[in-house]
Amino acid sequence: MNKCYLGIDIGSISTKGVIIDEDNKILASGYIWTKGNPIKAVKDLLKILREQFNDEDYKIVNVGTTGSARKLIGAMLSASTVKNEITAHAIGTISKYPNVKTILEIGGQDSKIIIVEDKIVTDYAMNTLCAAGTGSFLSSQAKRLDVDVEDFGKIALTSKNPTKIAARCTVFAESDLVHKAGSGYKKEDIIAGLCRSIVLNYLNNVGKGKKIKSPIVFQGGVSKNIGVVKAFEDVLNEKIIVDENSHLMGALGVAILSKQEKEEHIFDFNIIDLEFETKAIECQKCPNHCEIITIKKDNKIIDSWGNRCERGTI
Amino acid sequence: MSNKTISFPHLGKYYIPVEYLLKKVTNLNVSPSPPITKKTIDLGSKYSPDFVCIPFKYNLGNLIESLDNGANILLQAGGGCRYGYYKEIQEVILKDMGYKFDFYTLTEEGKVDLKYIFKTFKKLNQDLSFIKFAHYALLTLLMIDYMDNIDDFIRLNIGFEVNKNDFTNLNKKMLKDFTKCNNFFTLTFNYLKYKRKFKKIKINKPKNPLKVGIIGELYTSMEPFSSYFLETELAKMNIQVKRFTNVSYLLLKKKFKKNKMLKYAKDYITYPIGADGLDNVYRTKKLIHDGYDGIIHIKPFGCTPEIGAMPIIKNICKDYKMPIIYFSFDNQISVEGIKTRLEAFYDMLMMKKGGKQ
Amino acid sequence: MTIGIPKALLYYKYHILWENFFSYLNINTVTSPSTNKEILDVGIKNSIDEACLSLKIYLGHIKYLCGKCDYVLIPRIVSLNKNEKLCTNFSALYDIVKNTYKVKILNYNIDVDKNYDELYAFVSMARELGISRYKAVKAYIYAKEKEKEDETAKIIKQESLIKTNKLKILIAGHDYNIYDEFVGKPIIDYLKKMDVVPITSNICKKIYTDFDYKMISKDLYWTYNKEILSSINHYLKEVDGIILISTFPCGPDSLSNEIVVRKIKNKPIITIIIDELNNSSGLITRLESFVDILKERKGMNLYE
Repeated sequence: MNKCYLGIDIGSISTKGVIIDEDNKILASGYIWTKGNPIKAVKDLLKILREQFNDEDYKIVNVGTTGSARKLIGAMLSASTVKNEITAHAIGTISKYPNVKTILEIGGQDSKIIIVEDKIVTDYAMNTLCAAGTGSFLSSQAKRLDVDVEDFGKIALTSKNPTKIAARCTVFAESDLVHKAGSGYKKEDIIAGLCRSIVLNYLNNVGKGKKIKSPIVFQGGVSKNIGVVKAFEDVLNEKIIVDENSHLMGALGVAILSKQEKEEHIFDFNIIDLEFETKAIECQKCPNHCEIITIKKDNKIIDSWGNRCERGTI
Repeated sequence: MSNKTISFPHLGKYYIPVEYLLKKVTNLNVSPSPPITKKTIDLGSKYSPDFVCIPFKYNLGNLIESLDNGANILLQAGGGCRYGYYKEIQEVILKDMGYKFDFYTLTEEGKVDLKYIFKTFKKLNQDLSFIKFAHYALLTLLMIDYMDNIDDFIRLNIGFEVNKNDFTNLNKKMLKDFTKCNNFFTLTFNYLKYKRKFKKIKINKPKNPLKVGIIGELYTSMEPFSSYFLETELAKMNIQVKRFTNVSYLLLKKKFKKNKMLKYAKDYITYPIGADGLDNVYRTKKLIHDGYDGIIHIKPFGCTPEIGAMPIIKNICKDYKMPIIYFSFDNQISVEGIKTRLEAFYDMLMMKKGGKQ
Repeated sequence: MTIGIPKALLYYKYHILWENFFSYLNINTVTSPSTNKEILDVGIKNSIDEACLSLKIYLGHIKYLCGKCDYVLIPRIVSLNKNEKLCTNFSALYDIVKNTYKVKILNYNIDVDKNYDELYAFVSMARELGISRYKAVKAYIYAKEKEKEDETAKIIKQESLIKTNKLKILIAGHDYNIYDEFVGKPIIDYLKKMDVVPITSNICKKIYTDFDYKMISKDLYWTYNKEILSSINHYLKEVDGIILISTFPCGPDSLSNEIVVRKIKNKPIITIIIDELNNSSGLITRLESFVDILKERKGMNLYE
């Protein structure tokens, strides 16, 4: 029986999972939409992973979770490692590209930049306020232009003269886009312009003041868009590495991190059949009105968080 | 007891000495604003000018809750930077809302002047003698100084306490005993007694713990609610924390340090740059010199003096490869975002130090 | 030798003084052009995100001057009167620029609260350029006279504008915002196009500016904001409406605008905050409707 590790990266838009062996080799992986229901998404993801998993030779000895719902899913799976997505992404990428100096990441609703020196994170930034230039912005614009978001990149590459689009802010970008589309610009030029504006917006906001040095690895959902990759290469004038598993780096990173735990908790896929329920209660014991979230497994509370004082303890 | 109730906005635990002083030198009912909650900041934001800095909004929220609680005299600290001008605007806003009250400040144009404070208190209590006022005012200042000294010690060690809440509970007890003192002797006696007790609290501190310095604007440094309890979060991560800004520094020590600070940081700064800008530039260098692992810079969104200091601080940190993270607080910030960035900062420092993430 | 003068921030208040001072001493000056898109973008790129737009613009102008002059003139002003202050940006300007660009800066330091006055600043600036105290004082007196002449001429012109029967709107804000190509200029241009007479708050007799602000605010201690408030008080009866112009997120204005809006009840006021995302169509719509309201009010008065 060989040991292996499960890592799950659960974001607002998509849920990613990997199972790795002791040498960080990916044994199984999955990628599905979260659709606002993280518990169901994780269960579906686990079903996909189970199909690829060889349970005769391997056993999962530790679980790690990351992403915006890391805590919830961590409680659900009794994860031994619950890590923020910046560290998880850095660790995952460094494991595959030990020389990496810059990690660009654009996900569904946020984006980050991580600067690495000698396998150590030395600086990072993250946008949390504005959705301009993230995956969800791209897909909403694709819908507006009546293009499938998966084809976005391919169409962008056909453009010879990308249109300039103001993308400092979602609202302005949208109105500018409508304006440009209405005044007769070619669709491929607008799409290429959009890809470029996402890159410029990213570099001006998240990447502001950061020294972007090669090797550069680009990941997160948007890295699958070859139009954006091309725009990054044009603007930075550097080669951009996109891993075939670029969307799985967070999950990979947190799986690697879970290897470091001293204690082991054998993971059982049967968890798929258990009932989980979350409940958000607004605590009324003081005017803070903390939103306390509890998670129940088969009707028993297994964890809760969100309260800021003793009054709200459950 | 009169039917007049005096109230004042919060700043960390400093309501305790202020309440103490007011009780000693006036005959009014003294009732600090209700503790800051989410409701406070919601109220404050609702009635504040749009892009005024966040301390104004907290203050205004405090005052509204005080008035709703029956206060009819309000006291505002005043101070430098924008703080000095809060009172006039807040007064107009509150009167426009229909409240009736008297409003006083403790400082004039940011300058602390015992005579001015005495004049203010004289208005509140006509029988007050200067001797009595001076006695209690100095006693209060000493109490604040003692409080701050203990607080410094707590920050260095609370991240390593063996029994949860040992430090917090002892601190509460100490402050309660402080307010029972009426002269310098008993106050100092109590201070020394508690200092010994604090040193005896069981801690489990490694030889070379992770050390982080907090620098930045004064309100967000001193009012834990406004920084989303940053120091508590750091303590949970077993970090030793150093913070320079406290009331005794601002009132008593700051003005004597200017030349020393300019000299120390002269490669980066030529002049004082307003409010605590110079101080924070100095502290950045000092923390690097003292072997700290990282710096957290905090400020309200749009805080002008700190924005002026930031390019300088950035240069120092770049030159010395010092990890630093900047937080800007306002009323629409995502708490989750702060936590994620803080956790990543912690991981980054641990990686640099060579420990396990 | 050439001195670079950035056309931003205090330029608009002191350029007559500066230019005449240097020309009297036969020293060349070069002034950056009016703010354009490139200067703005460069400024934004080299600034801290949360810095106010006016400061960002300023840093764009400094970059333009880099390599075009021997020294850049950067005033550091803490206070201009006893017990008064300026926004801390003006205290920090010297060190902000020094930490942003590699550029030589002329030492120009005023802190009246600590007895460093304007004359002192000019003399020490001249000393750095190897000019004697005597010559510097003479040049300063000359430049001061020119400044006075210019001020008087502007006031006479504005006072004559006040007498017209056209719609008059007071543009109240810092000089560097009112006249900036990117901030206040589009507003003034638009008003002129609408046949409205813009009255600007920076042109106002000093005798008023010293006392009049107390009518609106008792405690205010920022000199330039006091001047704006005095000017508002002075022109209040003459104008039909007031436009407060600020850049995002100006600290002093965030408070002083509030007191103006709350204290002045019988005159229509709008506050326009310009930020780097500025979209002109929204601005025009607001101005248009404001002018319409004022016209209507004025029309009703005529009927009565």
